[in-house]
Amino acid sequence: MSMVDNTAGPLLAGRGLVKAHGRTEALRGASVELRAGEILAVTGSSGSGKSTLLHCLSGIVRPDEGSVTYAGERLEELPERRLSELRRTDFGVVFQFGQLIPELTALDNVALPLMLAGAGRAGARAAAGEWLERFGVRGQGELRPGELSGGQAQRAALARALVTGPRVVFADEPTGALDSLAGEQVMTALVHTAREAGTAVLLITHDARVAAYADREVQLRDGALAPLEVAA
Amino acid sequence: MTSLGSDLRLAWRLTRGSDRREWWRIALTAAGAALAAGFASAAAALAALRGSLHIPVAAGLLNQPGTRAGVIVSLVLLLVPVLGFLGQCARVGAVHRDRRLAGLRLAGAAPGQVRRIAALETGLACLLGSVAAAVLSVPVLLRLWDRPSPAAWAGIALVTVGVPALGAAAGALALRRVVTSPLGWIRRSGPRTGRGPGLLFLAGALLATVTPLAVATAPSGWPYRPGPPPSLLVLGAVVAVGAGAVWLSGCAARLTGRLLAARARSAATLIAAERLRDDPWAAARTHAAVLLVTVVGTGFVGVRQMLLEVLDSRKHLAEGRSFYTTGLDLTAAALVVALAITLSGLAVGTAESLATRRRGLAAQTAAGVPRAVLARALLLETALPLAPAVLLAGTGGAVIGFGYASLAEGGDWSLPWASLLVPPAVYATCLLAATTALPLLRRTLHPAELRYT
Amino acid sequence: MIAMSTRHILLGLLASGPSHGYDLKRRHDERFPQARPLAYGQVYTTLQRLVRDGLAEVGGTDSDGGPERTTYRATDDGARELARWAGEIAPPAPFVANEIFAKVVASILSGGDPAAYLRAQRAAHMERMRELTAVKSAKGADLATVLSADFALNHLDADLRWMTTTAARLTTLTAEVDTA
Repeated sequence: MSMVDNTAGPLLAGRGLVKAHGRTEALRGASVELRAGEILAVTGSSGSGKSTLLHCLSGIVRPDEGSVTYAGERLEELPERRLSELRRTDFGVVFQFGQLIPELTALDNVALPLMLAGAGRAGARAAAGEWLERFGVRGQGELRPGELSGGQAQRAALARALVTGPRVVFADEPTGALDSLAGEQVMTALVHTAREAGTAVLLITHDARVAAYADREVQLRDGALAPLEVAA
Repeated sequence: MTSLGSDLRLAWRLTRGSDRREWWRIALTAAGAALAAGFASAAAALAALRGSLHIPVAAGLLNQPGTRAGVIVSLVLLLVPVLGFLGQCARVGAVHRDRRLAGLRLAGAAPGQVRRIAALETGLACLLGSVAAAVLSVPVLLRLWDRPSPAAWAGIALVTVGVPALGAAAGALALRRVVTSPLGWIRRSGPRTGRGPGLLFLAGALLATVTPLAVATAPSGWPYRPGPPPSLLVLGAVVAVGAGAVWLSGCAARLTGRLLAARARSAATLIAAERLRDDPWAAARTHAAVLLVTVVGTGFVGVRQMLLEVLDSRKHLAEGRSFYTTGLDLTAAALVVALAITLSGLAVGTAESLATRRRGLAAQTAAGVPRAVLARALLLETALPLAPAVLLAGTGGAVIGFGYASLAEGGDWSLPWASLLVPPAVYATCLLAATTALPLLRRTLHPAELRYT
Repeated sequence: MIAMSTRHILLGLLASGPSHGYDLKRRHDERFPQARPLAYGQVYTTLQRLVRDGLAEVGGTDSDGGPERTTYRATDDGARELARWAGEIAPPAPFVANEIFAKVVASILSGGDPAAYLRAQRAAHMERMRELTAVKSAKGADLATVLSADFALNHLDADLRWMTTTAARLTTLTAEVDTA
């Protein structure tokens, strides 16, 4: 059922990641691997450093120690401009909230990554419209994020993350602010699209029902990752 | 008084526990208040003078009551850009402060108490500034004036007390929305209409810009036309033009936003245009001040050129040539000061709007929007609405200058083409002022801002 | 199911020391209020069956002025059977919460490793939840399937939440149960 590619090495790997915020150590030697096309859930209690892990793996933040390898490249050796480009083309990011530009319409928000990649405005808007259609929010395209419901806004954010056809999608508590039905819509949309396109997904959540959408789960405890024991 | 004491303690504790931006706001407010108190004190001291005197400063401009009145008026007018600057300073960290005070209201504080706290915060900062100004201006006064009259002392004392009082009142007024609907402030950072206060603050901005013209045409010091200057008429015209300038800036911003949002090709233009369309009144006050300075500046350069030619052509002048040239130079200095204050207000406003949006901007960077695009959008937000407005203002000023050269004093003076340099120069300095916020952008885009996303 | 658990619950209660049948019934009803209160007859029948299977033995009788009371205690076989049952994963399904609770309590009473059991049970639950979620979100799933999967998911999620919190609370829980 899953499209995990086990033959090649992992697509994205973090090894021995250490990151401290001030005096608190969020990550203490965490290591994780994500294979192409795999959906991986990272769970753990609040404040266990899950978001920090996501930031390190997506190149938003440089870890104090350890390395992150994506498709053979070590992220800590790349310049900021290349990292930004990577986040635009190869990575998609979905946060819990606050990631859409509040002054742009939903359609323009989804079209933005394409425009940044060099597409013309009309073409970008057309492609964005198709993605919104796919997630059932086409009718809300001309509304601003403040006028959308939580679920609609998250689906628009998801469309924006997926519009450039990324190889990895990072989702940080994507359904945290949503009720269960809206959350289900977002997760179903994410999983279906990821499976179709063979996109790998790193899913951060503290909700077991969201983690159940993944192929595999690892738990972050005390800054290090442990896989769950398989049922004997 | 006990309630005032407890309010004071609460205000102090709130301020101390807050972040660095509070201190910036207090410092900037104190600086603005010091400037305002300085100008007002100078005007008050001058107003206390009676009759014709011999004052060694300013090449005899202060000797005659007529020209003295003109100088007093221009000092008062310089207060207006200072008020605009203070208005921008009040916005620094205002969102956080207002949300904090709204929370206080929801926790049960009476509306009067919240108003008192806000008034105390602003009033105390202004007191700091006005006392500093008094401390600096008193020695200067004593050096120029052996025995200053009681009226002068009274004037300075009034200013030193009046500026904080006005500041406290303004602080309490600014919070009226928080006081009446605290829940509205918690749920969303309120929409900025800015029209009322904008009109209030900038009504005078126009006064400032037209005063140099009034001085230049002040008849009593002028050898040609006796009689009192038509100050009231000018004042009235100024208020009207000021209100118009604010309205014009807001409309220009909204129109620019609407036109460009539909046609924008690049990401930076799209972001800037939509932001303008969303909130056109945010910078309307500062932009209006820029417009006024442009109009007056362009007109002034034209008029000055003509007046210099007049001076050169006449053999007999009522006063020495330096009298008139000093008057012109002082007016030019006043204009430059007004521009500097306005530019500071622009810089502060840009930095503040950036700081307010920092979480959203950090999320954009995390999603891969290049920093260059965000920086360009920030600059375009200032550049786009200002361009047509400055053009219009420059045209107006040029009309004044060219008209004066063609019609006044017998006409036929050479046309002041140099005055056409003023609008682009003002525009360039505005862009420069906006770019001072770019280092702040760099710091804002640090992913640490994402921690609370 | 409940009947089978009653054997093991009694074994668990016996793990902390010999006990009269009367005491066992009282402690059972206190410890497991969500189960039906045990009837005396049921207690004695179960105890006799345990003795017959060699998992428990009669400790002695004492009568201090009242009716004769027989003391029972667990044998080594009984302790082993308890440990096996307490460590065995309950098949994830709705309404399995009682069994999980009983196993955790029994583990604590007998000095077992409740943390390890909880980890294993949690993994089994997650595996089942993954299966159910895949069924629920498959394209073209009909409403009945979605509803039944959702129902099961809700209960499994509830169990999971309890298990996670319990694992975090384990030290406090041990102290409380032991003093009972």
